[in-house]
Amino acid sequence: MLDPQIIDELKSIVGERYVLTSPEDLVAYSYDATFTSARPNLIVLPDNTQEVSEILKVASRELIPVVPRGMGSGLAAGSIPFGGGMVLALTRMDRLLDVDLDNMMATAEAGIIASELADAVAREGYFYPPDTTSVHYSTLGGNVACNAGGARCLKYGITGHYVMALEVVLADGRIMRVGGKATKNVTGYDLVRLLVGSEGTLAIITEVTVRFIAAPEVERMAQAIFPKLTDAGKAINAVLASGANPSMVEIMDETAIKSVEEYLRIGLPLDVEAILLIQTDGDEADAVRGIEIAAEICRQNGAREVRVATTPEEGKEMWEARSAISGSLGRIRPNKLGEDITVPHSAVPEMIAKIKEISAKWDLPIVIFGHAGDGNLHPNILFDKRDPEESERVESAVGDLFRAAVEVGGSLSGEHGVGVLKRPYLEMAMGAVAVEMQRRIKQAWDPKNILNPGKILPTKGAK
Amino acid sequence: MTSDRVEAPVRTVGAVADELYLKCIRCGKCLSVCPVYRETRIETLSPRGKVALYRAVGEDDLEISEVYAGKFYTCLMCDACREACPSGVELDLILNKARTDLAYSGLMPESLRRLDETIIAAGNISGEDNEQRLGWTANLESMPIGLDHGGQAEAAYFVGCVSALFPASYSIPQSLVRVFERAGVNYALIGGDEHCCGYPLFLNGEGERALAMAHHNVEAVRDTGAARVVMSCPSCYHMWKHIYPELLDNGELDGLEIVHETEMLAELAKEGRLRFKPWPVTVTYHDSCDLGRKSGIFEAPRHVLRAIPELTLVEMADHHENSLCCGGGGNLETYDRELAQALPRRRLQQAQDAGAKYIVVSCQQCKRTLFGGARRERIRIRTMDLAEVVSEQLEGEADA
Repeated sequence: MLDPQIIDELKSIVGERYVLTSPEDLVAYSYDATFTSARPNLIVLPDNTQEVSEILKVASRELIPVVPRGMGSGLAAGSIPFGGGMVLALTRMDRLLDVDLDNMMATAEAGIIASELADAVAREGYFYPPDTTSVHYSTLGGNVACNAGGARCLKYGITGHYVMALEVVLADGRIMRVGGKATKNVTGYDLVRLLVGSEGTLAIITEVTVRFIAAPEVERMAQAIFPKLTDAGKAINAVLASGANPSMVEIMDETAIKSVEEYLRIGLPLDVEAILLIQTDGDEADAVRGIEIAAEICRQNGAREVRVATTPEEGKEMWEARSAISGSLGRIRPNKLGEDITVPHSAVPEMIAKIKEISAKWDLPIVIFGHAGDGNLHPNILFDKRDPEESERVESAVGDLFRAAVEVGGSLSGEHGVGVLKRPYLEMAMGAVAVEMQRRIKQAWDPKNILNPGKILPTKGAK
Repeated sequence: MTSDRVEAPVRTVGAVADELYLKCIRCGKCLSVCPVYRETRIETLSPRGKVALYRAVGEDDLEISEVYAGKFYTCLMCDACREACPSGVELDLILNKARTDLAYSGLMPESLRRLDETIIAAGNISGEDNEQRLGWTANLESMPIGLDHGGQAEAAYFVGCVSALFPASYSIPQSLVRVFERAGVNYALIGGDEHCCGYPLFLNGEGERALAMAHHNVEAVRDTGAARVVMSCPSCYHMWKHIYPELLDNGELDGLEIVHETEMLAELAKEGRLRFKPWPVTVTYHDSCDLGRKSGIFEAPRHVLRAIPELTLVEMADHHENSLCCGGGGNLETYDRELAQALPRRRLQQAQDAGAKYIVVSCQQCKRTLFGGARRERIRIRTMDLAEVVSEQLEGEADA
């Protein structure tokens, strides 16, 4: 329990009602979208950057761990306060500050819901491409801190590709602005890029400026049904090598199909091994030509049926089946460990085969879905954490998954971040020198180690 | 707190099937649809947060307390979270069971306990003499035929407490009986024999106390000889249609058809018993939680609106199953008036964004809540019940 005087000091900064200490609040801020949890000592909900700065000065003086949190939809346990301390919830800082049509950039506070920013841009006729599955229940700040991806990354890149400027609060409470609206800027180290994906370990992101682009005229979606998973894998590479220029190529395996069908009851086939979802966009002619090329390639590569959506609603429905997978897995087993390994896209078929082997080896159901086009797969291990023996097997299977990804030339995380769950494997993926350099960066930015301590970097001495 | 229910054995939350919460994988999708979370942005008040609290108590990691109770009463019971949950968590059951446990443990907030006692004592939610239920008929041009109908009544009209006892809502039953009379529907009114349907008790976790009311109301309706009972209140409808069958013995409702005003109006329109004059306005329809999500009635009201010539019907961003609660649900306005009053703003904004000049509802509570919100926020948009719209737009009626 924290010193009551410190709690009073924090209350004097943000107001009585925005410092939460009840056991109920500690429970509610103990988790994210993973199966892990740990209770903080208190939760502070600031209203603005100045308040964040004042809070950090107190935390720095008192050596209180500060764990920043958006909407808690993270999948790497990055916002869970394992060492206790303060959860700094940025959800009240949700103002859209500016949509600059001349420069095609928007600025918002970190706590804005990502879809609200995207909607504001869309209302002006423009397009902010990052589209995490959790776009309606994650914050922009969280997206930046984890460098979140999404299905359209294949063509449009990840969140970090759109971040132009940041306002952050440093560990000692100083406020710093980095980046700007100049498209080209090579002045000094690229601190924007360093902060993107830093998961709250280097600074607290309080304000974000992103660029947006012209909206594609139309989108076209196709759904291809493959009796054989290996055929789907071949089709993916053939589509990417063709002139179809897809904006997304998504895969769902048979377990994913069953789980979603159970939830949505939309008539997905239950006797096939894979469904691919392919989207093209651009002007009408390009999008239509692209989707036709992709559809034909799927047919030639063993698809039993290829449906091309004739209306945007139909396309949306196809996408809904894919976006519902992750959440629907709770219907099968109480817990899931959703990974986001990333491999060269040519290695997707091989990686899928390896995942199947790992599933059989450890006798654990592993659902496979994800962004097959950019090589970012979501093997989800389903289990019941109340069963300690099964949980141990999960640990072993995870290790195998990561090793397999690295073996085929990939890495641990395509879009969720490292958090705590992938920490033990960081050195395997990046090498000892790269980990050591990151440790030094952390030391320089946060010498007292109060910012989201214990995240990303493996504890020294641990494997 | 001195509720006689405290004497009842305390049922522990853990005794309730833990399978209810095990399905929650904490993805967070419910946060995006919860009106309370969208307003407060506080996790403890979100559906996911409430499931976590319920689970923590079930797993002996948290004691129930007044603070715990407060989280569960800060809820509209609107079911949006249950509808959105990809994992199939039955949040409606969890939220109701949590309130039931709290009621049995003597932790129901005083304001809600008073509401329940009033309902039990007076037979209505306002505590007035139940014989005053016909106040809304006083300034009609003529006595409604429903009070002295000859022959076999087609339907008994169950008016509901709010429309019967709150003058601001009188125009809903007034309009509906006028429409019935224009359409030649022979209906019956039961006046002071009507008691509260019991839904507020159910929402407060005391559904079992509604049993006597359910018996009484069914008998009062049976006495009219009508084979169908029609409600303008979606909450009464939901209670009769879905909760009464669980409370009452088998057979007590047999042969009695329970319909909502919107279904009956749609039926009358289809049969050609209602003829409309043109109404060249843009309206949007607001699905109430009890009629829409909980009862699955979406198309009947829209069918009626589409039958009005020159009317343009537009949808708000959240509609049908995903409709956004006006803020009037779950007895929240009794428990936390300030929060409840902040909630309509978002819905009104959606109606404005859709370009609507009118929000048509089929619920007196949505009408009150949205009307009050528009007045407070100075938003120029009119709220009308479907019965009021139909009554005003019948062919031969003078323009309002």
